[in-house]
Amino acid sequence: MLRLATACQPLSAAGRLRVLAVGFMLNAGITPHCQAGTVELVVHDQLGAALGDAVVFVVPKSGASPAGPAPAVIDQVAKAFLPKVSIVEAGAEVTFPNKDNIKHHVYSFSPAKVFELKLYSGIPAKPVVFEKPGIVVLGCNIHDGMIAYVYVVDSPYHALTDATGKATLTDVPPADYTLHVWHFRMPSTAAVSQPIAVRAQGASTAVTLKVEPDAPVPPPLE
Amino acid sequence: MRLHRLRSRIVAFYTVLSLLISVAGLGVMNFFINRNAQSQIAEELLIGDRVFRRTLSDKSHQLEQAASVLAADFAFREAVATRDRDTLLSALENHGRRIHANLMMMIDPDGNLTANTLDEDAVPGRFGYPALLERARANGRASGIVSTNDHLYQLVLVAVRAPAVIGWVAMGFAVNDSGARDLSALTSLQVSVLARAANNDWHLIATTIDKAAQPRLKTSLMPLLTAANGYSARPIVVAKDLTLFAPLTLENGEAAVAVLQRSLREALQPFDQLRRLLAALAALGLAATVLGSVAIARGITGPLSTLSDVARRIAKGDYSEPIAVTKQDEVGELAAALHHMRTDIATREATIMDLAYRDPLTRLPNRALFNERLQQAIPTAKRSGTAISVLTLDLDNFKYVNNTLGHANGDLLLQQVGLRIQSALMRQTDTLARLGGDEFAILLPAADLVGAREIANRVLKVLETPVSIEGHTVDVAASIGIVSYPQHGQDVLTLMSRVDLSMAVAKRNKSGFAEYDVSYDQTPERLSLLSELRQATENDELILYYQPKLDIAAGQITYVEALLRWQHPRRGFVAPDEFIPFAEQTGYIRVITQWVLDTALKQTAAWRLRGLELNMCVNISARDLLNPDLTQHIARLLKQHGVNPGWIWLEITESAIMDDPIRAQQVIEELHHMGLHLSIDDFGTGYSSLAYLKRLPVDELKIDKSFVLNMNKDHDDAIIVRSTIDLGHNMNLKVVAEGVDCEETLQLLDKLGCDIAQGYHICRPLAVDKFEQWLAGFARAPRHAA
Repeated sequence: MLRLATACQPLSAAGRLRVLAVGFMLNAGITPHCQAGTVELVVHDQLGAALGDAVVFVVPKSGASPAGPAPAVIDQVAKAFLPKVSIVEAGAEVTFPNKDNIKHHVYSFSPAKVFELKLYSGIPAKPVVFEKPGIVVLGCNIHDGMIAYVYVVDSPYHALTDATGKATLTDVPPADYTLHVWHFRMPSTAAVSQPIAVRAQGASTAVTLKVEPDAPVPPPLE
Repeated sequence: MRLHRLRSRIVAFYTVLSLLISVAGLGVMNFFINRNAQSQIAEELLIGDRVFRRTLSDKSHQLEQAASVLAADFAFREAVATRDRDTLLSALENHGRRIHANLMMMIDPDGNLTANTLDEDAVPGRFGYPALLERARANGRASGIVSTNDHLYQLVLVAVRAPAVIGWVAMGFAVNDSGARDLSALTSLQVSVLARAANNDWHLIATTIDKAAQPRLKTSLMPLLTAANGYSARPIVVAKDLTLFAPLTLENGEAAVAVLQRSLREALQPFDQLRRLLAALAALGLAATVLGSVAIARGITGPLSTLSDVARRIAKGDYSEPIAVTKQDEVGELAAALHHMRTDIATREATIMDLAYRDPLTRLPNRALFNERLQQAIPTAKRSGTAISVLTLDLDNFKYVNNTLGHANGDLLLQQVGLRIQSALMRQTDTLARLGGDEFAILLPAADLVGAREIANRVLKVLETPVSIEGHTVDVAASIGIVSYPQHGQDVLTLMSRVDLSMAVAKRNKSGFAEYDVSYDQTPERLSLLSELRQATENDELILYYQPKLDIAAGQITYVEALLRWQHPRRGFVAPDEFIPFAEQTGYIRVITQWVLDTALKQTAAWRLRGLELNMCVNISARDLLNPDLTQHIARLLKQHGVNPGWIWLEITESAIMDDPIRAQQVIEELHHMGLHLSIDDFGTGYSSLAYLKRLPVDELKIDKSFVLNMNKDHDDAIIVRSTIDLGHNMNLKVVAEGVDCEETLQLLDKLGCDIAQGYHICRPLAVDKFEQWLAGFARAPRHAA
């Protein structure tokens, strides 16, 4: 069940959405004072626990393109990608500095970006450009436990939730948007989407995601 | 069959016992072998079940490992990631071949089947085993058994990560005969796997059973497979196989079962040899028992039969054959005991025969044997038409030899005489017997009177020579009676009684021998006398007469002698001499003496009551002296009639005393002790010695009347009477003279100092009333000798 409402303009009955296929719930923020151009979100899991590292972004229904993608860095430290989850805009260049004293073999078979950085140390010569929006799952071919997620978006309004599950999208011009929320613990690669209308005073909403227990690392084979 | 014989019983008992033990033993053994084998197989089956499950688990691990390696393969992941179906299929086939998987599938993260090596052209759809996929999602991998197209597969699902899950690779191994054989090799069990098809029919998926036996297997298992209450957790017997059902858990809830089997017959095969060995041992034991018991039974019953035969022979009196049992055991002891019994019986029988048929003194046959031989001789003679002669022989005056020389010498004489007579016989078949006392008899089979006479003469001749005994020379004379069969009698009794008569005649006539003559038997009076005498005592035909005795010096009647008279109703008066000897001979004298004593004592008591102080004299015969009851009888009568024993005088003849002097002395002493007076009657006619008389406690001598009757005329008699009187007085005895017939004799006696006189001159014997009259008259006019 999803309820979405603003204090200024309560949603009509028709505005209520049902997104049962993925079984999440989006609660309308019941904040009496809205700030213009700022969308405040809070993401919980189905048990009500705050979900950090959730990807949140809105895409204007008019289909606006990002102004300019900012480059990003995903380090490999202590046989882990850091950060584990990144949001980049389409066309962004991402570098993968290896800060371990061992080699890594970073790869992705995700349709959004297939690439391979064969065994290397230090900083690769060229950054990887993520042209297409979508989720790119990164792994290391020689370290099965290493995983990182790069969400390529074509919107400048995106954020990761903090540890308390909150995220704030600022300077969002009032318009009708589609809100996308995704977390790597969700069973599907498809983000949860819902329309969201951002007014001058902004918008506020809470999202509940159905996630699986923290990514099961396959037990080592005997 | 009834087992009467000891042998049969022993053999039957041991045979049946052994058989029962063998059968029971084999039965128990068989039971335990079967039970142990069954439980052993059951254990094997349960182990087989565990091995089976472990094998499945191992296999799934192996699959998982293989699948995991595959899923981690970078190139494979790359192929998956390309989503190129053909590439993916070829990659799956390639990798599947590497680990001999029968089935490879690819499932995308959403659960859609993207590739399937079994059905390459299939339209992609949902993966058919969502539960398996769910388990894989939870654990990264999962395995299970699936049924598809009448085949069972062990299926493993492993996530393909890049590094997030980009799909699931499924690898399947068909459950087939080869797998079943592998398991069978591990467990030695027959392994079959059956699965239920859509139409509820069960398919044999895999088996180690021969193709030929498969339909039978299905038929036998079908009822159990379709049973509603599930499978037994314990092994059960199905068509001679111990069977364990191991149900398999299939995805999608389909049914399949592994059937583990072990043939009972096969499992018991190692025990068959043991069983055969035990049966052979039991049979051997049985045979040994039968043979052994037959041998033992024979060992017991054989000698027993022999002993039975011996016992039967002994019973028949056949002691000749020795007992042929030589064993050392109890049977041997029995045989030895029987042997002793046989010899002892034979000895004893000989002794008994000897005692029964032989005279112990002369060792000659006795009367019984003689009679028996005569009895046997008669039919023989009858058949052959020959005669038999019988002689009896009686020594004359043997009694006097006995009395004068003593019994021991008398016995010696009889032995000598026996030998003499034996020497006179001429044939082996002639029998000499001693019939008793001094009486001998001779049996002459096949001899007529002529032969008998010859023998009689020979016997008389051999007896002519005097016999010398202990330095005494004794003259022996004999009287012989002769009878002959069949001339004088047809049977033993007649012959023997007639030969006795003949002998008596010979003795009377002093003729040596006499042959039987019919005239000897013509004495009917003699035959009837006894019965008449009996009547006499019953009918009061006997009377006592009383004869007074005169006390010569005092001129008084102080004694009276009771004298027996028989008033026969037909014959009139019978003299005592005519019947007393006969009564003595037959023993009837005892009855008569009793009667006499009773009557005389009663009379004494009666007289004493009336003041007649008479002493009663009663005669006692020789035979009475031999009666052991005499003294008691007298004592009883004295008491009964209240008679003082001092009033009674018993008169015993001298010859009666000398017949058996020892016994006589005993009786006389007893009577004397009782207080009775004793008188020796007929003194001077016997052969008593003074030495002997001196020992007897007698009170009176009674001089025999033969001396008294003529003493007044015969000087010798007078001398005898005077000597006797002197003798008596010297021995302090009263002297009585009887037979006083005249006054002259009485005077003479008085002069000689005789104490008492008795005779017709004083008074003849009178009946009681006459006597009393006479006594009364005498009292009025007493007769004084002087």
